[in-house]
Amino acid sequence: MSVETPTKPTIADKIYDKLFHNYIWKSIFRTGYPNTPRNQMLVVATNVFLHLHPTRIHRTHVKITHTYCLGGLSFFMFLGLTITGILLMFYYVPSVERAYLDMQNITTTVQFGQLMRNMHRWMAHAMVILVFLHMMRVFYTGAYKPPREFNWVVGVVLLVLTFLLSFTGYLLPWDQLAFWAITVGTNIAGSAPVLGPKTRFWLLGGFEVGPDSLIRFYTLHVIGLPLLAAIFMAVHFWRIRRDGGLARPL
Amino acid sequence: MATAVVARPVARPQARARDEEVLVWPDLVFIEFIAAMVFTITLFLLSFLVNAPLLDQANADVTPNPSKAPWYLLNLQELLLHMNAAMAGVIIPTIWLVILGAFPYFDRETEGQGKWFGTAGAIRLTVVGALVGFIGTWFLIFWDAGKLAYLIGKWSGGAISGGDTFRFLENVRSIQTQLPWPEWSTRITYLPFNLKILDSGFQHLNFPAWLVEQGIPIAVLVGLPSLMIYAMWKLGWVMTRRDALIALFSGFVAAYGVLTMVGTAFRGAGQELVYPWELTVSEGIPGQE
Repeated sequence: MSVETPTKPTIADKIYDKLFHNYIWKSIFRTGYPNTPRNQMLVVATNVFLHLHPTRIHRTHVKITHTYCLGGLSFFMFLGLTITGILLMFYYVPSVERAYLDMQNITTTVQFGQLMRNMHRWMAHAMVILVFLHMMRVFYTGAYKPPREFNWVVGVVLLVLTFLLSFTGYLLPWDQLAFWAITVGTNIAGSAPVLGPKTRFWLLGGFEVGPDSLIRFYTLHVIGLPLLAAIFMAVHFWRIRRDGGLARPL
Repeated sequence: MATAVVARPVARPQARARDEEVLVWPDLVFIEFIAAMVFTITLFLLSFLVNAPLLDQANADVTPNPSKAPWYLLNLQELLLHMNAAMAGVIIPTIWLVILGAFPYFDRETEGQGKWFGTAGAIRLTVVGALVGFIGTWFLIFWDAGKLAYLIGKWSGGAISGGDTFRFLENVRSIQTQLPWPEWSTRITYLPFNLKILDSGFQHLNFPAWLVEQGIPIAVLVGLPSLMIYAMWKLGWVMTRRDALIALFSGFVAAYGVLTMVGTAFRGAGQELVYPWELTVSEGIPGQE
């Protein structure tokens, strides 16, 4: 960087100074506006969300074709699903008497209800696909190799959790599609040797899909599994940093 | 006693190449922002254009035909048509997930990482592995649906026909039903008492049924991938564990894709194999089929 000769501050400089060098801004962000390398590194290091990242990464890793952002986008889908999911929870009661009625209300009378439901559904499908593609990316770039063995295992667990999250959400609309898909799905689980029938009974809270199944799937879907997934994601992201960031050729 | 300390190759994070690094803000954060925006806008548009399905209220008395699991489980539902339910639905996926998780403990070499298809011949192994998985899975589904025997008969104008002698080759189940199995083979006692584990009992073995539902599927699922990797090894294509895994994983992805696709778009009423444009769903309401 060349040293610039000081010039007389313009009106823009004064506004900039007032906006980013005042007491309140500094109390929130600590650093100034990220327009110098020093501030750009500080803004990543001192921000709780951005500090998932290191301050600097290898230049090959910002190439879009290296990762296609698949892992990050999977996480982004998870965040989007959380937001749309919370909005849907305001209107949805997981009881056999109300579930389907609430679905109809969400799609007809609630402001942007249909949009929120559509977003939630398509994002859920997108997340399943993205997580699978992310796994393929990691495999074909050999990124599971040492020292990242354990993070691959965590990833496989997250893949299963993604399937389970999607599966438990499938019952909630309480329409024919939901009911029979879960009947077929839990029958598959119930066919397991020895433990199958018990697992199915435990999952459904009965011998067939009913009111108890709905509340079980709801609880798993809105709190149990997301909590578990969040824990595994925390480990997953932490380990990326601990294992030296993204894999690169030796 | 002197203890020999064996230097174990513990993998450590690579040293950073600091002169090769760029700043996360703005170089990476910008890309992430764009990717997030592209997805947000695309999903918004999709949500404006296509509504999520909502059928009639759930009714345990009205069974749609076909009844299907969510699409990402239809691969298992498809497997279910060809073999023992416990195997298709639980045992095979569980074993496969364990194998998948064990990949890095099997292939411990660090070469070829951080680069798409970073090892020699990786693309060839991917393409051939995927082709074997794709064609093999389609072929097996086609055969087990009885379509192969039907088509051979149709295309040859009835000239090539196994008659009753070869009827047992029509699909996997006919090996049980069309062969003259002796009476005793359907009830082989292998335990002197009825071992009741939770709800089910184990004492007798119906050998033809076991062969069709478990024996042959296991042989196919273990045998075909092993055969593929063995052949590739003989050809000199598979030299390392990484090579074997590439072929195996590519075959899995292709087979998984075919199973999901067939289960989703090619299975009609009664789980018959049909073309996607012939696929109809009966709501199961009497008088409206």
